[in-house]
Amino acid sequence: MTLSYGGEPVLEGASLDVEPGQFVSLVGPSGSGKSSLLRAVIGLQRPLSGTTDTGLPANQVGMLFQDDALLPWKTARENVALGLRLIGVNSQAADREADIWLARLGLTGFENRYPRHVSGGQRKRIALAQVLARKPKLILMDEPFASLDAIVRSRVVKDVVALVESEGISVLLVTHDLEEAISLSDAVYLLGQGPRAHIIQRYDVPIPRPRDPVKSRLHPAFTPLHAKLWEDLSKEVDHRAEEAA
Amino acid sequence: MTLNPQYAWVRRLIALAIFLAIWEAAARAGMLNPIYVPAPGKIWLALVELFGDGRIWPHLEATFGAALGGLALGIVVGIALGILAALVPLIAELLEPIMTLLNAIPRVILAPLFVIWLGIGIASKIALAFILVTVVIFFTVYTGIKQVDRKLVERIVTLGGGRLTLARHVYLPSVAAWVLGNLKVAVGFAFTGAVVGEFVAASRGLGYLLGFAQSTYNSALMLALVLLIMVVVLIIFAVAGKLEKYLLRWT
Repeated sequence: MTLSYGGEPVLEGASLDVEPGQFVSLVGPSGSGKSSLLRAVIGLQRPLSGTTDTGLPANQVGMLFQDDALLPWKTARENVALGLRLIGVNSQAADREADIWLARLGLTGFENRYPRHVSGGQRKRIALAQVLARKPKLILMDEPFASLDAIVRSRVVKDVVALVESEGISVLLVTHDLEEAISLSDAVYLLGQGPRAHIIQRYDVPIPRPRDPVKSRLHPAFTPLHAKLWEDLSKEVDHRAEEAA
Repeated sequence: MTLNPQYAWVRRLIALAIFLAIWEAAARAGMLNPIYVPAPGKIWLALVELFGDGRIWPHLEATFGAALGGLALGIVVGIALGILAALVPLIAELLEPIMTLLNAIPRVILAPLFVIWLGIGIASKIALAFILVTVVIFFTVYTGIKQVDRKLVERIVTLGGGRLTLARHVYLPSVAAWVLGNLKVAVGFAFTGAVVGEFVAASRGLGYLLGFAQSTYNSALMLALVLLIMVVVLIIFAVAGKLEKYLLRWT
């Protein structure tokens, strides 16, 4: 796949492998086209060339954005239910399912709240409920936790990991946070500097599941892998800078 | 001195009472010419008289009819044109300069023209209220649609929503929110249009009574009418405010 905004391609020849039930991250510097790649996969942006086949029907792929983008005039329940209505669930069943998923994300009692009347972490949980309720096989995440503060973030991330593990959902997470990528993923793809960014390498993460995202940072495999990724990424950035000079 | 904002209305009320008392006293002492500045008591009497013999009702009815008619028509047409302009570039191209021009001029100058075109009946008043309202609503809707949050649109698209879903769940609520946000402005304009229209040429309405009071040098009646119009608009503002608060409870 090659992506461009009309000029020089931002991203060139990217191909990713996500096994069923696997959590895969894509890390890279800003401007490498990480977000564009996800947008192309979900169909918000057309690639210049190549295809973006996930091998799944569109309604089995979910997407979590950095912004929760919940409809502000709909309550938590209505927002989650709308996601279900759009895959053909009838209105009563959608409301019921919405409440179940909101409860699973710890939002019992918040069903009738509007997005602007809850905290950032709760909004994130509503957005998660909206995506998870549709029982996706694959969830694409575009830095979804970046806007949360540290404590809230680690709690939301912990719940997300537990839910995708128990539901057997594949995840493709885009982030610039190497530590987050390693602690959550089974494999990490490193994307180089754009323009004409390409995938440098795939790194498998040998930390066993089920995982606690905080404790997995203490696993003996974590630090060497982090160091290796960091080194490779730095090399790539320096190399591109030299090329440009 | 620190003022407790909770009691601002008490202080305002006291100030108003003092002001009215001084005014009344000055008038009774013969310090004010009653032709120009009638005493508050006289204004009150004029107001009581208007309601007492019931002759105010047909005038109130005329003004309300013209204002609310113009308001409803202005909102409907303003929304329709705003949506059309946002969807069809050609219509935007043609409408924008007209609306910008209408927005730039004091639109009440069209009142005499509407009287010539539509006569001195209620139609010319509705037309004036309508033109005042529709321009505001048009710009509200037109710029609003162009600024609909892209992220919301993309979100619905990734959930599999098509044009119909977007229109119903994203655009329509957005438009409703903007219109409601400008409802008070529109109400004010509608009454301006109705009253000014009546003032220019009419046989009924608060504006007509104002003209009558002016031609007979009846400043007590005139001030009574000004007071009445203020009260009417304040009541409508309160209703519009309640409606806005309920319908925009999610903000």
